[in-house]
Amino acid sequence: MFALFFRRARDARSLLKGARPAGRRRVLKQDKSGKLVFWVFLTPVLFAFVMVMIIPFFLGVFYSFTDWSSSAGSGAGLKFVGLGNFTQSFQDPAFLFSFIITFVYTFINVLVLNITALILSLIATSRLRLRNLYRAGFFVPNLIGGLILGYIWQFIFNNAIPALGGFLANPENLVLRHPGTSILALVAVGTWQYAGYIMMIYVAAIEGVPQELYEAATIDGAKSFERFRYITVPMIAQAFTITLFLTLVNSFKQFDVNVSLTAGGPSTIFMGKPIYATELLALHIYNTAFTGDHLAMGQARAVVFFIVLVVISTIQVRASKKREIEA
Amino acid sequence: MRKILIASVLILGLVGFVFASGSSESSGSSAKAPLTLMQNKPEIGAALTAYGAEWTKTSGIPITIKSIGGTSNGLGQQLKADYAAGDMPDIFVIQGPQDYKQWESVLQDMSNQKWVAETSVPFKENGKVYGFPVSIEGWGLAYNADLLAKAGVDPKTLDNYAAYKAAFEKINSMKAQLGINAVVSMAASSQMSWVVTDHDMNALLSNGLPYDDLSVVKALLAGKVDASRMQQYANWVELMFKYANQTILTTGDYNAQVNAFATQKTVFLHQGNWVDPNMKQAGVTFKMAFAPYGSLNATTDGIFVSAPSWYVVNKDSKNVAGAEKFLNDMVFTKAGQDFIVKKADMIPAFKNIDLQPSGQLSQSVQAWMKAGKIYAWNQYQFTLNFRQQILGPIYNQFATGQINEAKFIQLMTSAFENQKS
Repeated sequence: MFALFFRRARDARSLLKGARPAGRRRVLKQDKSGKLVFWVFLTPVLFAFVMVMIIPFFLGVFYSFTDWSSSAGSGAGLKFVGLGNFTQSFQDPAFLFSFIITFVYTFINVLVLNITALILSLIATSRLRLRNLYRAGFFVPNLIGGLILGYIWQFIFNNAIPALGGFLANPENLVLRHPGTSILALVAVGTWQYAGYIMMIYVAAIEGVPQELYEAATIDGAKSFERFRYITVPMIAQAFTITLFLTLVNSFKQFDVNVSLTAGGPSTIFMGKPIYATELLALHIYNTAFTGDHLAMGQARAVVFFIVLVVISTIQVRASKKREIEA
Repeated sequence: MRKILIASVLILGLVGFVFASGSSESSGSSAKAPLTLMQNKPEIGAALTAYGAEWTKTSGIPITIKSIGGTSNGLGQQLKADYAAGDMPDIFVIQGPQDYKQWESVLQDMSNQKWVAETSVPFKENGKVYGFPVSIEGWGLAYNADLLAKAGVDPKTLDNYAAYKAAFEKINSMKAQLGINAVVSMAASSQMSWVVTDHDMNALLSNGLPYDDLSVVKALLAGKVDASRMQQYANWVELMFKYANQTILTTGDYNAQVNAFATQKTVFLHQGNWVDPNMKQAGVTFKMAFAPYGSLNATTDGIFVSAPSWYVVNKDSKNVAGAEKFLNDMVFTKAGQDFIVKKADMIPAFKNIDLQPSGQLSQSVQAWMKAGKIYAWNQYQFTLNFRQQILGPIYNQFATGQINEAKFIQLMTSAFENQKS
């Protein structure tokens, strides 16, 4: 308290003497207290982030070079195995198949999700009467957790659709029974979950397009599809960068819908070994680590997963940014 | 300066709030230190929690009950996480030799406990007792007595493969009359793989053998497959899959499988006496019991009965004496016996408890046990990874018709011959 008063008095005196030195000191002090506030609020969150994300990440990379298994078996010490976990993983048919199927799923899901979201956003920004209802309605599935969605859709695929009778009632034609259709089912549920969220991004972008462009085009005689192709699409190119990135990363990391809808799903034979056909990468890593009791191996696969994801998303963002500048 | 002081106090306070959820384990006096029990049977979770609260009042030692279940190996994963965090429960559950290997360095030797003399299925390793049997469970083919009588099949004659084949064919031809849509309710999807890899596999491992006979298991672990026994087993699996409800077989979950039997849409159910609470909930009124598990060509008049899991005590617990007292009280006090049999509806594994559980299937298991006609559960000699990730897909392929019986035998044989862990 005394020090503050002292400082105030000193400032007042120096103000009387000449404006500039005092002003500079005051600016510095404000700058300093602003920085202090900045750090006071940032530190707890930064601390939590470092403890929960950064440190476990580096610990995990360390463990992937050992035979860690977090069990109290006799003879369980920590042995360094170098790149052994990585080479073993790349020779495991289950891991390779999981990689391939995750790529396939991601490709299909990104396509279907973005096209669906774009169509939904056009509906939500059109001059239909119930468009506000559509906006809210399309967004609701995103609020339901992935796990519950998976169970609901599992019920629909296993019980509700066969109840429609005829061709669909035959157990041979259950969607979740065949590997191919199971992947499509995963895409369907993934799309249902995220289309509303991506639609919001497109809606925001579409509403940012100035109306005069459309009016000018209409006067010039452009049809609605041409207006869409030549005006809307280039103007929302920025949104494409964001949505492509989001859908790519989310599809790659898909876990809760996978667990609840198919839990690894029907089986298939790959490289001569029977494996579960819809075990996407995240589920595969989880099964390796916990069911298979190979925590270090699962960690090594997770490191590979991380590297692949970083590389792909960096390439995607760079490519999209380049197209943005050109447009 | 003062501002920096205030600021750093603020920061510490905020950070402290973020991480304030840690448990407050002080050293405390060991006789009354609180206990934690972690178990994997959600169906008895409520009853066990209530009993735990009652025991806390009478013994003065606070005990917390945690239940994890429904998913495969949910308990194992939680234990690994707790071990890594240095926060293991005082009492937890192991399911067999593979689980024992995982935790052997923290298990308390309980050979000198009073209850050991009262049970014939404690978990023993190297001559020492480590596990307290949670209950006795049995599984096999449960049958609907009313429907079976209507079909004119006597369950006592179903003690070998030929008898089952004839009976299944007969019942299948009478589907419309009996109002059923399939003969047996069996599941083999990826989430229900435990029905085939954990239970049905015992038809290969221990059916027809004396209770302590591990000869087939040891041969399989060494990679040697008896071709004729595998062929008989494959015939049995093919029979089960052929006459099962195909929807439940390929995509059904636990509730679907059990409810098909409860709503009288199938005559047989391939499950164990733990479905008694599900049957009670479904309001089932028909008579049911277990038929002999006649999967071999030779006559095998028995079902599979064992202790499915054991409570073990963490020897690094702060209150080992309290944990051991909890287990002793479960066997020797009226409240404990009442909990095991009446509240949790389990079959007791102890000779001194002579209460009877109320479920029909539990009573059937007790009858088989009294007659001494039981076979061992040996699936836990194999690791979870081997059963779920390696054998599971093979059964699934067979169930969805993507491979035939010959290929099934070939894949199973090569899986056993090439097992690592």
